[in-house]
Amino acid sequence: MDVTLPGRATRTGGLHPLTIVRRQIEGIFLRMGYSIADGPEVENDFHNFEALNFPPDHPARDSQDTLLLDRKAVSPLLLRTHTSPVQIREMRRHGAPLRILVPGRVYRKDEVDATHSPVFHQVEGLVVDKNISMADLKGTVSTFVEELFGKGTRTRFIPTFFPFVEPGVDVSMSCIFCKGAGCGKCKGSGWIEIMGAGMVHPRVLQGVAIDPEEFTGFAFGLGIDRVALLKYGFPDLRLLFEGDERFLRQFAGRT
Amino acid sequence: MKFSLEWLSDYVDVAAVGGADGARRCLDQAGIPVESVSTAGEDVILDAEITPNRPDAMGHRGLAREIAAISGQSMRDPAARYAEPATQGDATEQLASIVIQVPRLCRRFGARLVRGIGPAPAPERVRRRLAAIGAKSISAGVDATNYVLWATSQPLHAFDFDKLAGGLLIIRKAQRGEKLVTLDGVQRVLEPSDVVVADAERAVSLAGIMGGMDTAVTASTKNVLLEAAWWDPVTVRKTARRLGMHTDASHRFERGADPEAIPDALAYAARLIVEAAGGTMAPGFLDAHGALLRVRKTALRLARLRLLSGDGRLNLDFAEDALRRLGFSTERRGKHLAVSIPLFRGDVRREDDLVEEVLRVYGYDRLPSRLPPAASPGGHKEPRRPIEERLADAAAAAGLFETVNYPFVDRDADESALGDWLRLTETALEPLAILNPLDASRHHLRATLIPGLLGAVSRNLRHGAPSVGLFEIGRAFGSKGESDRPESYESRRFAFALAGERRGHWSVPPQLRPADVFDAKGLVERLVAPWIPADEIVWKPAEIQAFTPRASAIAHTRAGEVLAVVGLLSESERERHGLDASVFAAEILVDALPVGGRPFVFEPFSSLPAITADLTFLQPRDLPWVKVEECVRGLGLADLESLRCVDRYEGEKVPPGFVKTTIRLTFRSAERTLSQDEVNREMHRLADELGRRLDVRFDG
Repeated sequence: MDVTLPGRATRTGGLHPLTIVRRQIEGIFLRMGYSIADGPEVENDFHNFEALNFPPDHPARDSQDTLLLDRKAVSPLLLRTHTSPVQIREMRRHGAPLRILVPGRVYRKDEVDATHSPVFHQVEGLVVDKNISMADLKGTVSTFVEELFGKGTRTRFIPTFFPFVEPGVDVSMSCIFCKGAGCGKCKGSGWIEIMGAGMVHPRVLQGVAIDPEEFTGFAFGLGIDRVALLKYGFPDLRLLFEGDERFLRQFAGRT
Repeated sequence: MKFSLEWLSDYVDVAAVGGADGARRCLDQAGIPVESVSTAGEDVILDAEITPNRPDAMGHRGLAREIAAISGQSMRDPAARYAEPATQGDATEQLASIVIQVPRLCRRFGARLVRGIGPAPAPERVRRRLAAIGAKSISAGVDATNYVLWATSQPLHAFDFDKLAGGLLIIRKAQRGEKLVTLDGVQRVLEPSDVVVADAERAVSLAGIMGGMDTAVTASTKNVLLEAAWWDPVTVRKTARRLGMHTDASHRFERGADPEAIPDALAYAARLIVEAAGGTMAPGFLDAHGALLRVRKTALRLARLRLLSGDGRLNLDFAEDALRRLGFSTERRGKHLAVSIPLFRGDVRREDDLVEEVLRVYGYDRLPSRLPPAASPGGHKEPRRPIEERLADAAAAAGLFETVNYPFVDRDADESALGDWLRLTETALEPLAILNPLDASRHHLRATLIPGLLGAVSRNLRHGAPSVGLFEIGRAFGSKGESDRPESYESRRFAFALAGERRGHWSVPPQLRPADVFDAKGLVERLVAPWIPADEIVWKPAEIQAFTPRASAIAHTRAGEVLAVVGLLSESERERHGLDASVFAAEILVDALPVGGRPFVFEPFSSLPAITADLTFLQPRDLPWVKVEECVRGLGLADLESLRCVDRYEGEKVPPGFVKTTIRLTFRSAERTLSQDEVNREMHRLADELGRRLDVRFDG
């Protein structure tokens, strides 16, 4: 018997990097007391747009090029363009207070290339309670980013516009490649955009019968695909959707 | 959107802010991120991303206002540097008139006349600045309108006044089928939902989008009528979308213009024309009003500001100063401000919008950071999430890799061979189709995950992988749903596909048994075991085109609900996917698995010894195992603990159409040690009964 011959390996399989990253993100928020919610990928205009304060025929809809399924339905059917409609479903079902995390697949009419895909994955967070403020959002987001990308990763808020939050912010984190010094990956800025967030718009709360004078809330959303790409340093989103074992094998055993 | 630093300096002291870097920092803080900075001659060009709620910042003056508000600099008024040019001749209102027939769609329409111009180009400064931000120079008249648009964000249009019939401008809805050749030379066929500017005879401009060719300013134009208006955003957007047009003007009108900007914009453009091309301004200007846009008033409470920001240091002095810098008027009323919102900020409507304005000037960096206090117990997962997680973990542990495939398919090409399976799952009599697909050849949403997995298996084998096992968790879609319950169009699935040889290893003998359908079936049983034990699954042979007959099966629950399909891919299906190797595939309906798993209670077990006994018999090939099993179990054999099929043999000494089956029974009592005689008696009874009840023989 030559015991230096290689041992007999059992077959190894593994989870998809999107699942690995999703579970990491879920784990961080489960520890913070969030519950995981789910909603359908086929949505209607009401949940995907109207209840989120996107008026019909408003240019804000341009940024979310929608794949349509049925225009004639009372509320037209579509493939959801973001996980935010689940906010509406959960607030209508449970009211306030609420603390949820919603991972899910979303769709936009984007041509496939290295950084775009018509199918991608988001995680949406929502907290509605008494006395929730931007300060709570800042603390939550910075805790999350440090847990996921490592201690010392800084975050920065820049105002932006999403119809369903007010104020709305873009969250950037200090570049994880150059630690903020400026490199090709962050286009020299030292910052990488990581999520959108903001305080839940009072019209959204009113629409689900939550009194915005009694309750306030924050919401945030980020792309899992992009996080996977940043964390594992692969160059092209398309690798996620090709089912190539040479790619998938590298994640075997990771959690 | 591109902005010139030199041009911004007309409105704010950019040098005092810190030049391009300082301006960039201010704009970042304002929520107008600068994506790139480049140079154009002496000038610096900022490429800023402006969100659709800020049409007011789509011009240099508006952008400068943001820089001034954030930096604390004051705004400059370049118009103050110029004397109002002399006017001459008949007043504008004696030469032209305006009728607004759609007062809600055109809230204000202003016009100004410049007469006797020459063919000169626009002033050098105007041409240089337009070139710097990438706009073309055309003529003094056209450049003046463009320049004012990029300066003030108010779009304007210039007509050749002599080509307007009757000196009359009518703002009305288009007639069905009315035609207008726009400046780009395209003939547009209009609808009554479009709004046009018409002269006494015909439409001369598509309101808020593009002017008409026939009345455009040319090199020979002598008299120019300048127009500036406020158009209804939704109307402009609908018309522009229908006609596939997108212009600098429509981009701004769709997002909302400022009716109060109209007089200054007209005077500014008229002055630029006179400066370059001579001529004189007619006295006065035409100012027609539709329905009035009211200035909105909203209160900003200190308590709300502190609540939303979480910052108790903020006070009303700061808020008042910040809002005034941004162009709001404020009045102090005890613990709140009464705020009048300027018409150029149509995006600001309520108190929380004002909070954002104050915080933009304050800077989010200065806000405190904390975690929300602990809430009521959380950490739950939606009910089917744990099922999917366990399925994924078990599949990965069994050596499969998870994949994610696009759900876009062509039903006829990709799924028709699985039609019998689709019928059984009742989700997809007709495919759910995307009306505006990316790829018209794949405009259906998948009704099963199997074809996507087969595609991935095929790609891997072509890359030279000796074997491959993949699984996917995702949704399948069908057109049978209720439109008020979007979730009824989809169902949750788990599927896997296996192909190829076992992995090569020095210790694996070359004659290793090749994989067969029972490997795949066993995997299905193992995967669903946490919810449904294998002996509660009812398997029936499947007749599905995509699978090989007699090597595919449908799993049902005891209640008769369809649970899964498993099978060996048929030859034709293999060919379609370019697969040489045997491929096994399965799909499990996640929704059929009971939420919460099965109840578990400890069962006492016997420590007494067991006796096993084998029985071999010849049976027809088409006698299914489940019949044999049912028969054996139905006999009520004393102390029978388990029954297994341990061998099936076809070949030498077995007649054609028959198979030799060996079953193994284990006997054990909870109370006493069994004797061999007792077991033998039961085995004889078994043989007699099997021979009597089933078509089996013991002569082999």
